[in-house]
Amino acid sequence: MKIFSWLMTVIVASTLSFSSFANPKKIGYIVNYGTHEWYQNVIFGLQSRADELGIDFEVMDANLDINKQTAMAEDFMTKAVDVLIMTPVNEEGVVPILRKAKADGTPVVLEGNPAKGMTTLFAICDYDAGYKAGDAVGRILVSRGETEARVMDVGLPLLSATVLRSLGFMEAIAKHVDAVKVHELDGSGMIDSSVEVASAALAADSNINVIYGINDGSALGGLQAWRAAGLPENDLIVAGTGAEGLAFLNEMTKENTPYLVEAAMFPEGVGYTGMNLAVDLFNGVDVPEHKVTPTLALTVHNYANYYSFDKAGQTRQINFENVANIPTETKCTKYASDL
Amino acid sequence: MLKYFKSNESILFFLLIILCIFLSFYNPQFYSIQNINSILRSSSTVMIVAFGMTILLTSGEVDLSVGALMSFVTVIVMDVINISGSLFLGFLAVFIFCLMIGLINGLVRTMLNVNSLIATLAMMLILQGSVYIYSMAAIYNTHLLPFFTFIGQGFVFKIPMPVIIMLFILPFFIFLLNYTKYGRYFTAIGSNPSSSSLSGINNNKFKILGFVITSLLVGVAGIILASLMDTGQQGSAKGFELIVIAAVLLGGTSFKGGSGTVIGTILGILILKVIDNGIILMRIPQEFQLVVPGVILILAVYFDTLRKEKNV
Repeated sequence: MKIFSWLMTVIVASTLSFSSFANPKKIGYIVNYGTHEWYQNVIFGLQSRADELGIDFEVMDANLDINKQTAMAEDFMTKAVDVLIMTPVNEEGVVPILRKAKADGTPVVLEGNPAKGMTTLFAICDYDAGYKAGDAVGRILVSRGETEARVMDVGLPLLSATVLRSLGFMEAIAKHVDAVKVHELDGSGMIDSSVEVASAALAADSNINVIYGINDGSALGGLQAWRAAGLPENDLIVAGTGAEGLAFLNEMTKENTPYLVEAAMFPEGVGYTGMNLAVDLFNGVDVPEHKVTPTLALTVHNYANYYSFDKAGQTRQINFENVANIPTETKCTKYASDL
Repeated sequence: MLKYFKSNESILFFLLIILCIFLSFYNPQFYSIQNINSILRSSSTVMIVAFGMTILLTSGEVDLSVGALMSFVTVIVMDVINISGSLFLGFLAVFIFCLMIGLINGLVRTMLNVNSLIATLAMMLILQGSVYIYSMAAIYNTHLLPFFTFIGQGFVFKIPMPVIIMLFILPFFIFLLNYTKYGRYFTAIGSNPSSSSLSGINNNKFKILGFVITSLLVGVAGIILASLMDTGQQGSAKGFELIVIAAVLLGGTSFKGGSGTVIGTILGILILKVIDNGIILMRIPQEFQLVVPGVILILAVYFDTLRKEKNV
């Protein structure tokens, strides 16, 4: 009996030691624009998961400078990180880094944008995120007995990712009601620019009932322009994108606000997923080319499932488990190449 | 009479009228009250800062840090009011901070003898970086004081509040530059610093004053912007300094100092803002909103050089 127990212990222990993977010891992340709220929350997610797994995690900020990003990548390779995670400053600029990392034997995981020669990427689906917000807005319009959506799109026409969001938004609304894009604006993704361009657009034609922003700043800029023009908010619906920080929660939880929908991209969840992907890549697990991270249309009725929000303290805490349980696409409905 | 029509302000005025007529024909919405208010509201923050910049450029100096300072002001005012619940304390914090920045700019220029282009460029970088040290995240309005929102978004007799604030400040600068010896001192310092110094004017004192006035005006404009955005936002007012400088130069103020008028500055700003508005009304790609001030900046400096050569 003793021999049997001893044999069983040996078998179980050896099975475990062969099947379980070791975690990487050190992972480096080069963020492209670390001062942006979105990336601060992505970093929070990466760090949270790294802490859970006992991984030493270091972040460097390229601050939108591809030369800096290249130098930082070399630094990380010299430090012999087990995996390098990068948000490319630009898709072409990181190709030489990927080549060098391959020669160096450093596995690389990209965030956000794909690049030639990459192994794996974790990112949201922009079209699908916009679509979910448009679908939610369409449903609200129908419930109000509206037959037409007259949309002011506070966008960023130079970026394919944001164009995809706007496209998804408009196509989803059109499934519910007649959808007309009255204004297609370039708010530069910034609240002050968005206020300015939206003010001029509203002065030209304020007969709209939906404001869509490709990020939180754009949506809030559109809304602030509406308010500054002294227009009534009763029939207006504002939808933003990103859930980048606290902005949408602050506005959405106000009484009688028209800010009803947020295409949440859960940046903390993006980071959490990214760290898991980096660990899988390190362990030689077969990883997808694009690991899609969850997106969802948040409203005042469901946001508490995913975020606990302390309005007075101006903090939010993500519920990683609930975000991970959001049904997620295996691939995006539309990519930049479809534009 | 002919001289009057040939003056810089008259030319700008006619240019503005032509632009307005053209845009009115193109889109009748152009002359709607709502559109005029929109143009005036977005012009007013530029005008407020440009009054100070006119003084600075007239005295032969420039301040490139106004955009970065304005962004910082939005963060400070929102944060202090959120914490204290007091508008007074929020505004006080802003004006103390702006006073300090203006003083530093002025002292670096005059005491350390660093060219103001370089000194204020350095200050711009310092402010752009340190605003993130102050707070990594945008500061949202949690105080919900109605008067704060009213500053940027309210109306008095259907006139936007930022315009009222600008109109309140305007007479002071017209009076200062045109009807006081101090205004003439700024012109004298920019025109010929050696002779102004020989005639007993303390050049450095007036230059420091110019930087301080400009920074304080940025404080006012920053409060308006924070109210309009309902947020203290790092990275806002990007490129604001270039728009201000382009407008002031377009208004006839010399980049080399020695001449400049507030009315010219106002007309320069209105022309730029009407063009911006026209770009949106005509659905021209908005990238031209950056191209236009750039081109105008070059043309304005070129015409200024021509004018100076002609005068010589």
